[in-house]
Amino acid sequence: MGDSEQKKGFRFILMDISKTKILSIDSLKIGYAYGKRQKILLPPLTASARKGELIAVIGRNGIGKSTLLRTIIGLQPSYGGTIMIMGKKINEYSRLEMAQQIGYISTEVVKVSNMRVRDLVALGRFPHTNWTGKITGKDFEVITESVNKAGMSGFENRFISELSDGERQRAMIARVLAQDTEIMLMDEPTAFLDINSKFEVVNLMLELSKKGKTIIFSTHDFNIAVNQADKIWLIIENELTEGAPEDLVLRGSFDHLFDTSMVKFNYEDGSFSFRKENRSKIYIAGEGIMRYWTEKAIIRAGYSVSDTNTPVFIQVPSENNKKWVLFSGDSSVLLNSLYDLVSRLQKGI
Amino acid sequence: MSCIITEKLNKNFTLKLKKQNTEYIAAQHAGKRNTLFFIVLALLVVCFFILDIFFGSVSIKVNDVLKAIFNSTGNNIETIILKFRLPKAITALTVGIALSLSGLQMQTVFRNPMAGPYVLGVSSGASLGVAFVILGFSGSLTPGNLHSLGNWILVAASWIGAGAVTLLIMFISSKVRDIMTILIIGIMLASGISAIVSIMQYFSNETLLKAYVIWTMGSLGNLSASQLQVLLISVSIGMLISIFSVKMLNALLLGENYAGSIGLNVRFSRTVIFTCTSILAGSVTAFCGPIGFIGIAVPHIARIIFKTPDHRVLIPGTILTGALIMLISDIVSQLPGSNNVLPVNSVTSLIGIPVVIWVILNRRKDSGLF
Repeated sequence: MGDSEQKKGFRFILMDISKTKILSIDSLKIGYAYGKRQKILLPPLTASARKGELIAVIGRNGIGKSTLLRTIIGLQPSYGGTIMIMGKKINEYSRLEMAQQIGYISTEVVKVSNMRVRDLVALGRFPHTNWTGKITGKDFEVITESVNKAGMSGFENRFISELSDGERQRAMIARVLAQDTEIMLMDEPTAFLDINSKFEVVNLMLELSKKGKTIIFSTHDFNIAVNQADKIWLIIENELTEGAPEDLVLRGSFDHLFDTSMVKFNYEDGSFSFRKENRSKIYIAGEGIMRYWTEKAIIRAGYSVSDTNTPVFIQVPSENNKKWVLFSGDSSVLLNSLYDLVSRLQKGI
Repeated sequence: MSCIITEKLNKNFTLKLKKQNTEYIAAQHAGKRNTLFFIVLALLVVCFFILDIFFGSVSIKVNDVLKAIFNSTGNNIETIILKFRLPKAITALTVGIALSLSGLQMQTVFRNPMAGPYVLGVSSGASLGVAFVILGFSGSLTPGNLHSLGNWILVAASWIGAGAVTLLIMFISSKVRDIMTILIIGIMLASGISAIVSIMQYFSNETLLKAYVIWTMGSLGNLSASQLQVLLISVSIGMLISIFSVKMLNALLLGENYAGSIGLNVRFSRTVIFTCTSILAGSVTAFCGPIGFIGIAVPHIARIIFKTPDHRVLIPGTILTGALIMLISDIVSQLPGSNNVLPVNSVTSLIGIPVVIWVILNRRKDSGLF
């Protein structure tokens, strides 16, 4: 009787929360304590996440992304400010209640001999099982479902020491899914992954967030952050800026991401490139994909593309001519590849 | 009514699971296999326990053993069986269980396949505690003729010594992650402690020195009835704590960060488990002297047998394997058929060292840690 009332109350809270912030941090101070001395990494941080959002935390190396995630999950103390989960301060949760709200995947690799994928995923049930950690019928159902969701069905009996990096990451995700939490924190989930695995993992994260899981992940992969995330928490020296990736682009927030004259943010395609000064201009004749990659090559070689005709210009390959032609005054050179073109340009025209 | 419905639902649910999920059946299969190993190991422990009573420097016939146990005849043989052989077999069993369990717990908490009470210097710490009691106090506190209170003092000193070294190793391993470095530091600690003990020996008198040297030789057969009682009580407490810490140990397999993230109170768990290892290793060392390589080798043997990282299986598995191997070591040390007795410490080393070498050779960078 009392149990069902409790469930009703819980459902009511859930409905209420889905409209509002599921996680919010307010003037949060993160850092370390060395003995009695504290080292606060950043000015107070304020940010929030709603249900089902995929949030990318970006910022340069060592700025405190991992520390922020570790502070949210409670592995590190905060030095001021508040963290609210489902409208309740985190210090009002017990350890086990916290573990039922937030799951965590760090960059640390779990290495245990004889541990199979199913054992790893079953450990995700830790906050839901009795004192022996006994797996009951319901736990078993959740574990199977989590393994399937993470695309790891068929891998249950594989030893985790024999998994590839991508498979291991998905097994870790299955473990957090079995933990059955509202929020999932991931520290650089795509680091060390090859391109295929990276896309598999990011795709999985997208699917999960569409199904209502709030995922907050730190990353150095700017493309993934800008193209996939619902929201970005951008950490720069003096503040945390949050917003949709596009808003941040338009606001010019990314200009400060790299405090160096080496890198430049391109507003057109949202990518970063090396800043190269004193470029001479070259006109490119031609269209299509050939032109696109030729442009890339000459930019790499230290030139920029001119809109009007220049004394030195390039004709890209077309239907009747399979070669690049470099015109310089009256003479012209035929080149077989972009590699040859770039070497020619670097030798001086 | 509702009860029947739930039961039906439950039945349907299990059926569905069994049909749909071959994984479930695989898990059950592994369970059956483990049950078989448990039964075999338990039977072997019983067999070797009995064998251990039979073998000794005086050969005794089966009939006489049975007579001694079931009819009180009051002759020499009964005295040998009840006063010497039986307590010694019980001691071997208890020592095997205690050292192996403490080794298993240390390996999991340190996430180090080379951890064990002997190699990390915990047994040495315990012997330092014992040295303080024996060499530091009057001759009345020598292990041979202790009264009950004295036994508890000896054991407590041993616990404190073991606990201090465990704390030190824990502190060092929070600074250094490398397994081999910690191992070398453990060996250094053990050497350092033996140097301190040597200095204490230098300044103590002859009687006390003799008592201490006899203790260091290590023996399963020198325990008085009251000492055996203290040992049994302490090891039972340790076993109980181990059983209650299965879930913590399983979570700690993932490392402290993940363990914390799934809701484990890491500091509390570590304190509980280290208290437990100090009690287990300390009690054994107090009465039987330092016995090497059981604590490090047995958990690996149990992992090879049961092929699981799950402590719900490994703890009972390690208890049985540890008891069995210590009983075998004791029988071998009797050199059946001769009148000579080997120190049990050298037998356990000869059994344990090949296992340790095997583990080191098999530890590849990409494979599991332990």
